[in-house]
Amino acid sequence: MTVQIPRPATEKAKGRARTTPPPPPGRHRKAQGSAGALPYLLLLPALAITAVLLGYPLVKNGILSFQKLGMKELIQHLTEWNGFDNYSDVLGGEDFWRVTLRTVVFTAVNVTLIMVLGTLVGLLLARLGRKMRLTLMMALVLAWAMPIIAATTVYQWLFAERYGVVNWILDKLGWHSMADYSWTSSQFSTFFVITVMLVWTSIPFVAINLYAATTTIAKELYEAAGLDGAGAWRTFTSVTLPFIKPFLLATTFLEVIWIFKAFPHVYAINGGGPDRLTETLPVYAFVEGVGNQHYGMGAAISVLTILVLMGLTSYYIRMVMKQEREDS
Amino acid sequence: MRRSFIGRFWPNATALVLFVIFLFPVYWMFATSFKPTGDIISENPVWFPLDPTFEHYRTAFDADNFWNFWKNSLTVTLLAVGISLLIALLASFAIARMRFRGRTGIILVFMFAQMAPWEVMVISVYMLVRDADMLNSLVPLTLFYTVMVLPLTILTLRTYVAAVPKDLEEAAMVDGATRTQAFRKVIFPLLAPGLMATSLFGFITAWNEFPMVLVLNKEAEAQTLPLWLSQFQTQFGDDWGATMAAASLFALPILVLFLYLQRKVTAGLTAGAVKG
Amino acid sequence: MKRTAVAVLAAAGLVASLAACGSDDGGEDDGKGSGPGSFKGETLTFWAMDGSTPDDWLKDVQAEFEKKTGAKLEYKVQQWNGIQQKLTTALSEESPPDVVEVGNTQTPAYAATGGLADLTELKDEIGTEWTESLNESSIYEGKQYAVPWFFANRVVMYNKSIFEEAGITELPKTRDDLFAAFEKIEKNTDAEPIYMPGQNWYFFDGLLIGQDAELVKQDGDKWVSNLADPKVGQAMDIYKQYADFSTAPKDKDEATPQQGEVFGKGKTGAIIGMGWESGIAIEASKDKNFEKEIGYFTIPGETADTPESVFLGGSNLAIAAGSEKQELAQEFLKIALSDKHEGALAAANGVIPNKDSLLSKLEGNEAAEAAAPAAAVGGTTPLIPEWGAVENTPNPIKSYMTAFLNGKSHEEAAESVEGDLNERLAQE
Repeated sequence: MTVQIPRPATEKAKGRARTTPPPPPGRHRKAQGSAGALPYLLLLPALAITAVLLGYPLVKNGILSFQKLGMKELIQHLTEWNGFDNYSDVLGGEDFWRVTLRTVVFTAVNVTLIMVLGTLVGLLLARLGRKMRLTLMMALVLAWAMPIIAATTVYQWLFAERYGVVNWILDKLGWHSMADYSWTSSQFSTFFVITVMLVWTSIPFVAINLYAATTTIAKELYEAAGLDGAGAWRTFTSVTLPFIKPFLLATTFLEVIWIFKAFPHVYAINGGGPDRLTETLPVYAFVEGVGNQHYGMGAAISVLTILVLMGLTSYYIRMVMKQEREDS
Repeated sequence: MRRSFIGRFWPNATALVLFVIFLFPVYWMFATSFKPTGDIISENPVWFPLDPTFEHYRTAFDADNFWNFWKNSLTVTLLAVGISLLIALLASFAIARMRFRGRTGIILVFMFAQMAPWEVMVISVYMLVRDADMLNSLVPLTLFYTVMVLPLTILTLRTYVAAVPKDLEEAAMVDGATRTQAFRKVIFPLLAPGLMATSLFGFITAWNEFPMVLVLNKEAEAQTLPLWLSQFQTQFGDDWGATMAAASLFALPILVLFLYLQRKVTAGLTAGAVKG
Repeated sequence: MKRTAVAVLAAAGLVASLAACGSDDGGEDDGKGSGPGSFKGETLTFWAMDGSTPDDWLKDVQAEFEKKTGAKLEYKVQQWNGIQQKLTTALSEESPPDVVEVGNTQTPAYAATGGLADLTELKDEIGTEWTESLNESSIYEGKQYAVPWFFANRVVMYNKSIFEEAGITELPKTRDDLFAAFEKIEKNTDAEPIYMPGQNWYFFDGLLIGQDAELVKQDGDKWVSNLADPKVGQAMDIYKQYADFSTAPKDKDEATPQQGEVFGKGKTGAIIGMGWESGIAIEASKDKNFEKEIGYFTIPGETADTPESVFLGGSNLAIAAGSEKQELAQEFLKIALSDKHEGALAAANGVIPNKDSLLSKLEGNEAAEAAAPAAAVGGTTPLIPEWGAVENTPNPIKSYMTAFLNGKSHEEAAESVEGDLNERLAQE
């Protein structure tokens, strides 16, 4: 199927001041009259299925967080309320706060790396010739498509103390003290391995999308910038950036959620070790809930996790809301 | 814009380095799946399976219910992605094109839905499905996967819908087409790339899901591929060869899907990426 | 609310036809239909772990069971990954698996949940000869909740050529002999004397039993950590002497990578493991005759007359309390645990059977013969329901071991994990 990609934005941008970003595509909406019941009908299936199949488990999860629910209660279908015990246990200890802080820092570091490196790779894709671009894109997609279970196994193994490929290479490069280095022995080095893996697996999404975004920018804009004598940096900040900014914001929002929630990657490398020093909130919830077989406690932590995540993304959400309100 | 050799050299060199970095773990998975067990862990890494064996693939294929796992995974994933695309298309059309009360609130709902921590909610989901007496069935699994991928599908799809020029639709309607016809004949073809791009996200998510199917479906007849993939990891250590062989097979459909969609995906993202 | 959920689920009729449901209960029946043992048309579900049941054993048991009862046996292999969530949730269901395999260290935890049926009467009928120490894990508050199935303990698996090259002429009889042999290997060969990663926790548990050390103690009506006990430190000292002969990672257990694979490379003098791990070594080895290189001996103790104590790992069989086929399930247990089949299982897998009179079945199995003497001084983990959660990742005992091997004193290492251990012991 060959489809002509609509480029309403660029068509209009041509005649305008060169460095002004195009109007948002949804602009015409203002002209749209009252829609009556139609929008609600269109939204009904999505809202209904979300309300029942997400809303119901969320409520159930909330209810469980006020219960003492271990193996015994689960197997015998017992309901044993324990009020705010789970919450006071979690919030009363210092563990939760330490883990929360660690998760926030971990998310910030990873998302920053992913967005910066992903953007750079995306811009590189735009500069490459067709063949080279396809080649690199293939590798990116393969990395993206690799099953999580395989990715975590391979990374564990690349960074293994003995028989690990990374230590072997470092040793051959002359760094002999690394020949038997244990990557899982300290908090920092464990996080290093987890970060390498998460960044590796997340960059493709950002890079491919960003490349796609840049292709919508009209060549004329660059040429005009060139005539004005703008350097590479100026061209980037005045032409490219305004175009890709909304996209960057949306992707950052998604990455914050994904990294914050990343469970299998963090857990697989070292089980949250050494000494539970690399547990992030989802791992903490799993260890306390499933590992300790105290599902009520796990539920309480997951409720708190959602609240923390809402707090973290509130800035972005408020911004989007403001824009949406202006638009409509 | 013609660049000098030097101007082309650095981007290409960087691209090559990145190519190696991104491909290596994948290559390692694939290469390992052909190595004899004795070569898998080794003092000096065996870079290439010089003495290839199909033994690991045999182990992977020999698993009970092999084809059943594939059938179930394909059914559940394709249905979940299909249903969520359908529902999301309707929803995103409303969000992107219409003005109505509560619109921002509804966008907010889907943003929060995207944050749902499914992994830790598994026990709640399990208890609900158990009490509804619907364990060991593909129906709840399909529906939960649908809801799992729905928010992201709506949030991205609406940007694609918004990017379709309004004029086209109006032009069609001036020509006497009804709104439905305009949608089907004019808008839908333009959305196709976007639909396919979004489906790739959904496919990868549903295809990989493990914790939920583990507790919901204990009968082999209703299990999916991630359970098959995990069976080569035992309490006594992992059979790395078999895991890598199984993982290579497991990744195959995603690759095929990508290769098929590749051109359209890129094009589709192009249309949608303008507005977050 | 429940109604709504069902309605929505049903509304998506698209997929309804794909709902996978149970098996066809047709069943060829020539059950004689006589006597109380007639269960024609019924199906018994049996969950066993991957690797527990040899094909021939299963076939024979199935044939006898189906012939005697007229019912069908549906056998389901369970994978290890996520088994605990799976078993716990399965026991809560309306039609749970009827007979399940449960690890002996986990049995008290499941017994305490009320998910397992009381088998006290069955024990009186078929279990009078069971080895008492092997049956201990099945008893909770004086009642029998499972039946002992099979057990195994660790041995020293050694590489004959390396021992010979090092000049070791006689197999070690005491711990000192063993360490002297390791020193010879270190000096005279380029092999690693033993592969001993820092978290081979079940080997450590054996050393604890040998030192008479207890991991937990009672504090009022609660169990708390006893890790700081100097006896635990003594056991850890011995462990460290083993580990010092190895360059294996201090923060990994014997499963990553599988120590059998490392041993199969032919550059390791010995490992401490289960007899069947030789299979992994043989597969991983490039030497076609590697099988002949492998020898086994009992882990030597302090003195020549008592071998080192070992952890007796094993499996019990239990009947789900929620099963509607209690009588049929008991029939199955009677057949599976009969001398004929119990003996066959011991012979096929080289595992210790549940009664001493069947030990003769192990004759000729080198690894099993080496394992047998130590079984008499074997033990388990603390047999309390609270123990069930302790071994889940991250296992605090393993963290203690790594901390000690990385140079912390016994007291410091114990203190660093006691909080976690106590927290886990507080669950039930």
